Amino acid sequence: MSSTTGSQREAYQPPSVGSSGVGRSYAPAPAGTMFYLCAECGVKVGINKGEPIRCKECGHRILYKQRTTRYLKSKSIVPG
Amino acid sequence: MAVTVKPNTSFNILRREDLFRNPPKDKSAFPALLNAVKPHIESFNAITAEGGLLDLARQDIGVKCVFDGKGDGKGLGNKLSLRIDKIYVGKPKISERDKTTLRREIFPAECRERHITYRGKLSVKLGLKINDGPWVSQDREVGNIPIMVRSNRCHLENLAPHDLVERKEESEELGGYFIVNGIEKLIRLLIVQRRNYPMAIIRPSLAGRGKSYTNMGVQIRCVRPDQSSQTNVLHYLNDGNVTFRFSWRKNEYLVPVIMIMKALVETNDREIFDGLLTRKDMENTFLTDRAELLLRTFKGYQLLTRKENLQHLGEKFRIVMGVPPDMSDVEVGKEFLRKIVLVHLEDPRDKYRLLLFMVRKLYALAEGTCQADNPDAIQHQEVLLGGFLYGMIIKERAEEYLESIVKEVRREVQRGNVLDFNNKEHRTRMFSRTSENIGNSLEYFISTGNLSSPSGLDLQQVSGFTVVAEKINFYRFISHFRMVHRGSFFAQLKTTTVRKLLPESWGFLCPVHTPDGSPCGLLNHLTHRCQITTTTSDVSSIRKALVSLGVISPATSPLPHSATVCIQLDGCIVGWCSPKLAKVVADTLRFWKVEGSHGIPPDLEIGYVPISRGGQYPGIYLFSQQARMIRPVKYLPLEREDLVGPFEQPYMSIAVTPPEIAPEESTHVELDPTNILSIIANMTPFSDFNQSPRNMYQCQMGKQAMGTPGTALRYRSDNKMYRLQTGQTPIVRSPLYNEYGLDNFPNGMNAVVAVISYTGYDMDDAMILNKSAYERGFGHGTIYKTEKLGWTEERRSRIKESKFLFGFANPDEISANIDELHEMDESTDEAKVFKRKAFQRIGIRQEWLRTVDMDGLPTIGQLVKDGDAVAVYHAIPKEGDRTRPENKVFIYKGSEDAYIDEVRLLGSEGGDNKPMQEISIKYRIPRAPNIGDKFSSRHGQKGVCSQKWPSIDMPFTESGMQPDIIINPHAFPSRMTIGMFVESLAGKSGALHGIAQDSTPFRFDEENTAADYFGHQLKVAGYNYHGNEPMYSGITGEELHADIYIGVVYYQRLRHMVNDKYQVRTTGKISELTHQPIKGRKKGGGIRVGEMERDSLLAHGGAFLLQDRLFNCSDYTQTWVCRACGSFLSTTSSVRGSGFGSVVRCRRCAVPATGLEEGEMIWEDGLGGRFVGGKDTTVVAVPYVLKYLDVELAAMGIAMKFNISP
Repeated sequence: MSSTTGSQREAYQPPSVGSSGVGRSYAPAPAGTMFYLCAECGVKVGINKGEPIRCKECGHRILYKQRTTRYLKSKSIVPG
Repeated sequence: MAVTVKPNTSFNILRREDLFRNPPKDKSAFPALLNAVKPHIESFNAITAEGGLLDLARQDIGVKCVFDGKGDGKGLGNKLSLRIDKIYVGKPKISERDKTTLRREIFPAECRERHITYRGKLSVKLGLKINDGPWVSQDREVGNIPIMVRSNRCHLENLAPHDLVERKEESEELGGYFIVNGIEKLIRLLIVQRRNYPMAIIRPSLAGRGKSYTNMGVQIRCVRPDQSSQTNVLHYLNDGNVTFRFSWRKNEYLVPVIMIMKALVETNDREIFDGLLTRKDMENTFLTDRAELLLRTFKGYQLLTRKENLQHLGEKFRIVMGVPPDMSDVEVGKEFLRKIVLVHLEDPRDKYRLLLFMVRKLYALAEGTCQADNPDAIQHQEVLLGGFLYGMIIKERAEEYLESIVKEVRREVQRGNVLDFNNKEHRTRMFSRTSENIGNSLEYFISTGNLSSPSGLDLQQVSGFTVVAEKINFYRFISHFRMVHRGSFFAQLKTTTVRKLLPESWGFLCPVHTPDGSPCGLLNHLTHRCQITTTTSDVSSIRKALVSLGVISPATSPLPHSATVCIQLDGCIVGWCSPKLAKVVADTLRFWKVEGSHGIPPDLEIGYVPISRGGQYPGIYLFSQQARMIRPVKYLPLEREDLVGPFEQPYMSIAVTPPEIAPEESTHVELDPTNILSIIANMTPFSDFNQSPRNMYQCQMGKQAMGTPGTALRYRSDNKMYRLQTGQTPIVRSPLYNEYGLDNFPNGMNAVVAVISYTGYDMDDAMILNKSAYERGFGHGTIYKTEKLGWTEERRSRIKESKFLFGFANPDEISANIDELHEMDESTDEAKVFKRKAFQRIGIRQEWLRTVDMDGLPTIGQLVKDGDAVAVYHAIPKEGDRTRPENKVFIYKGSEDAYIDEVRLLGSEGGDNKPMQEISIKYRIPRAPNIGDKFSSRHGQKGVCSQKWPSIDMPFTESGMQPDIIINPHAFPSRMTIGMFVESLAGKSGALHGIAQDSTPFRFDEENTAADYFGHQLKVAGYNYHGNEPMYSGITGEELHADIYIGVVYYQRLRHMVNDKYQVRTTGKISELTHQPIKGRKKGGGIRVGEMERDSLLAHGGAFLLQDRLFNCSDYTQTWVCRACGSFLSTTSSVRGSGFGSVVRCRRCAVPATGLEEGEMIWEDGLGGRFVGGKDTTVVAVPYVLKYLDVELAAMGIAMKFNISP
């Protein structure tokens, strides 16, 4: 039933190859890229500062920040 | 109702574990839980289903017309007809502008996480017709409306637990609510008048309609097939006349009832007279007099035929109805009757007959042969379901939409603009001018609960329709869906009659589960077996069945002498019969109904009201429609389940237990006595042993316990969420606990409880917690708080550019220098300053880096304290601007230390490539039990933890057992919560034998007592039969003189914790105006020492303390005052004048210097005026408000004088 609802002017068009971010994740990430987890497909997504929040595989709109594994240098890291 | 697993009390650990690890792939293991929310979901499904309520609604809206006034000048011009051909509600999908996303659906979990609304597209197929041309349809999108979770417009509909878990939901996700801005909201069930039943009412307000109006009336709430309603009232006048009243678009109108009767059908006075009175009534002069008068007074209108009456009505109501100008008066009259008079019936003949019946009932009420119906009794009530209300609002909005188009066209025509309906451009202009956002108004309704409607939807309130489905724990959550509210109108009522628990409610509303305090009795909960019908049953064979039973057709006129009992089906008169036959008809119908034969639907309500002396007006009232409460009981003749409703119940004999069945009298027996209790009330163990208010308290406290709201906490973003870390399944519980699968949501812990007065720290409802129990994790909990940070774009602004960006403005510079900066020496103060400045040079502070990562977002797992940075951002520099923007931070504001638990980066919807503008942070605040935290057993026995007593000092039993909790014996005598003692016994023996104990109420009696049953179990386990044990003092090791009652009780930790409540103040913020301490815990204010506190301090002679509280610690000020004239205001400091006493002078007592005085005498004010005198000033301590008062009074021209001494 819902297929008849959409008016013709704004019908969905499948993404054309090359225009989207798909495949970009294989390119070497520039320095300063942070990696996040996609909430939908769980893939690691590299996002540079100022880039839109979008999973590069599935286009999902929520990313989770990962628990860091890097050594944190700040001295006051110890709780309390 | 199919139950997958036969309910039992055992722990079922393996099954539970299996269900948890492998959620079923076919259907839920707990159908009872799904049934609890069924009314919500089904009512929503009913509106959107094919041929559903929206479809009926659009038919009812009909055709709207407008004319362009063009043509030969004389006529109305071209006619444009508008109608709605279809209303579609789509499933939630992402915007079509977004072209990159593969998965188009939006699932509820995403809406919770992103703090957005779960909504689907609403579109309308508009039908247009020009003059007599063909109908042309056009699709219009009219916004997005919130969609109910798990409804037929939700992606989660019919998903199995396994798939739900895949979609980030609970395995037992119930749905039934909406998600608006990430908050779960539901439309609460509302009590309204029973539909299609003419109710006799006596209400003083009825007399206020005008002269000679009495307080008597007959009111009927007619419900159209689309579930919208229209109330009609017949008023009884002093002289015996009857007026018809209705309200239309919030205005009331009165019409003589005969006019409506005569307009409905072609009739005459004789027929009305005969229809009104049976042959027996003809001998009753009270009735004949009135009927005669009714017809005689109408003579004055000089309206004889149906056509004349219709014309008259049409003429009067043409403007009110808002009909197109080309409609004739007769047509308007018919439209009036269709839309306003007894709208539940289609056939005018049926309407006419029902009107006659209503007048007859009104006369019976006036005569005193029948009693007024009680509008507060559930017998005359039904439930307004959320979905139906939602559908009504959509209908009204859709009608408004059509009207707005009509209005727009009319405005254009009036302006003299050319408007050609055939021109496509003109048509689009017509649409572009009208507001096409129905979706927004529905979102507003769900998020605020406010109804803005031109008609008021025949409801008594305009706000409070929705509530937040709080998920403090699962009990709280599930109760929201079983809650029925009487209406906020009744909350203000001074009388308590509406709040009373009436016997009619038996089995439908829980007598225990209502809050105490202001909503008491207005906010009730459905019993756990009570269902609400959401569809109309098939009633096609009922008329046939009635005829076969000898019922006389209503078309017969005049009726035979004996046919005095009216039979109505959903407010339509379907026949008459004699009183003797009536009982047979009712009984046979019921038999057939339960048997399932003769096409009688199983949920038909057969309300047989027998003839009585001055009781309820007799008749057989059959109800088959939506929104009725029904509940299962056993029908004795067939030993089968029968569904009964609240209308018929008072006239039925339903035994509570099988031994109570009275032969020849009882027709039914309850399936279980616990069916009268709500889900929550059923969870109170042995509630039949307790004093009833205690059970009410438990129903409240069970909903405040810190429990387990669910397992998908990871994907929720509630503002505040509570979680109990160490929840357990209760040893003592009823089988319903398993049936509802409450093991998925543990709500407390089993604790060894000793009832003993020990240490004195258990006085006055305090309890002592065993410190070792606490250290083992007893009662440990967590609070999760979610905060959204970022910049939401303003809807109105055209500027789509974002202004700020998360992250450091100069990340490269920082990462290049950061190692070096961290290494810097900070041994001396100087070095520290140097280091800070070095950080400042690259635009950051060192402490930011502890909690903020290089992307400017908080580091997960970090501890944050009040004032710590959680996110760094900077403004986006304008083009050409090469200076480095300043790094700014978002601060964590919270008095408690928290851990960063989750950080979500929220992308924008739609295809725009905007950078991140919003993040959502979830903080975790650990809350181990503390002194001052509140706990309670399941018997309304709440207490506050007063000490965490060291284990070595706790008393112990002969087997070396120590209690986890000590409570004072004084908690029992006045409260009489024997259930807690029994639970203690049962818990103890359950723990000893490793079994779960059944705590269903009404299972024990005087012969087989609970104490004996569990006492024997204890005895077998080698314990004292009574549950007492000798105990030894933990301090001295000596045996205590009395045996101590010790056992296992399930304890809840309540969400009221000192950490959220404590309020301390030494000094702090003060009010600007009065200089007194401000109030409010959040702002660091104080607690007021009020009048009563002052009085008691005075009475105790605590003057010094009083002085301290009310003055020194409040608005103590020192101020100058003139001793001579007693004024604060006239003192002023002298500019020149050291060496001659005080520097402050009284300007009022001073006189201008003449120049002849000695130089020493003269002083000068700030303006250069020179004065002499006014020396007699001094400093006094006064409350600052006194000075303020002085100023205020001075402004009014009142001077205050203070006598200063000594």
